Amino acid sequence: MDVSNTKNKYKTVESWVDQFGDYLYSWALYKTSSKETAEDLVQETFLSAFHSFDTFQNRSSPKTWLFSILNNKIIDHYRKIARSFSSIDTTNEKDSFQITESLFDKNQNWKPSGFENIWEKEQNILDDPEFTKIFDGCLKELPSKWNLAILTKYRFGKDASEICQELDISPSNYWQIIHRSKLLLKKCIEKHWM
Amino acid sequence: MKKLMNIFLLSCKKATELIEKREILPLSTTEKVQLKLHTSMCNACKAYEKQSKTIDEALSEWLKKKEKKEDKGLSGQAKSNIINKLKEN
Repeated sequence: MDVSNTKNKYKTVESWVDQFGDYLYSWALYKTSSKETAEDLVQETFLSAFHSFDTFQNRSSPKTWLFSILNNKIIDHYRKIARSFSSIDTTNEKDSFQITESLFDKNQNWKPSGFENIWEKEQNILDDPEFTKIFDGCLKELPSKWNLAILTKYRFGKDASEICQELDISPSNYWQIIHRSKLLLKKCIEKHWM
Repeated sequence: MKKLMNIFLLSCKKATELIEKREILPLSTTEKVQLKLHTSMCNACKAYEKQSKTIDEALSEWLKKKEKKEDKGLSGQAKSNIINKLKEN
């Protein structure tokens, strides 16, 4: 490739950083909830765009093209996380599963916990800062895979099942994980919030 | 009585499973009827339905808050990092 062409490519991608950087960053942040991860993914997106610049032939808008690169990076990011689950996570998952089993009696009906009425407050509990704090803690206590699955539901909406397949979670397994996560969150909230 | 209810109307565990499943996959007609019958008779599962919704709302609030806190656009530092990286190529 000649020098002027490279310079041209550089100038174009540089202008895209200014033009679309913020949009890409917001999107990545929404999908990952981490400033550092979002910045890294956006950086990788622009570097990829630079390297595969020749395949971009103005068939789509640069914005669409950049977003499609970013979306692939986001999926890769979650794949990497899914691969990094360790045996500690598996043990944690088994323990958590047992805790959710213990909420039901031998006929698989609810065992009375005695805390049922904490949910019935006049004030909307979501407005209670104490609840928010407890919820934050309970979310962290979920096994990594469950935490990932339940947040994926909100980050990806309708596409959640698709993403889960990438994470090696089948659709039927997916709602079962969501079910277990909800039970564990319920138990954790009831335990801490009286 | 409880045992009889299980045969016709699902256990509470199964009922709460269906409450979560229907958010993701469509339920069969049988499942829908079973769940409806169960929640019409079981206060604990009726309450669970509400609690599950509350947890949903709490989750989406949690994400929104997290996003708001961090989203001030791509920082100048991050932008110049990208531009420097591009220059290295």
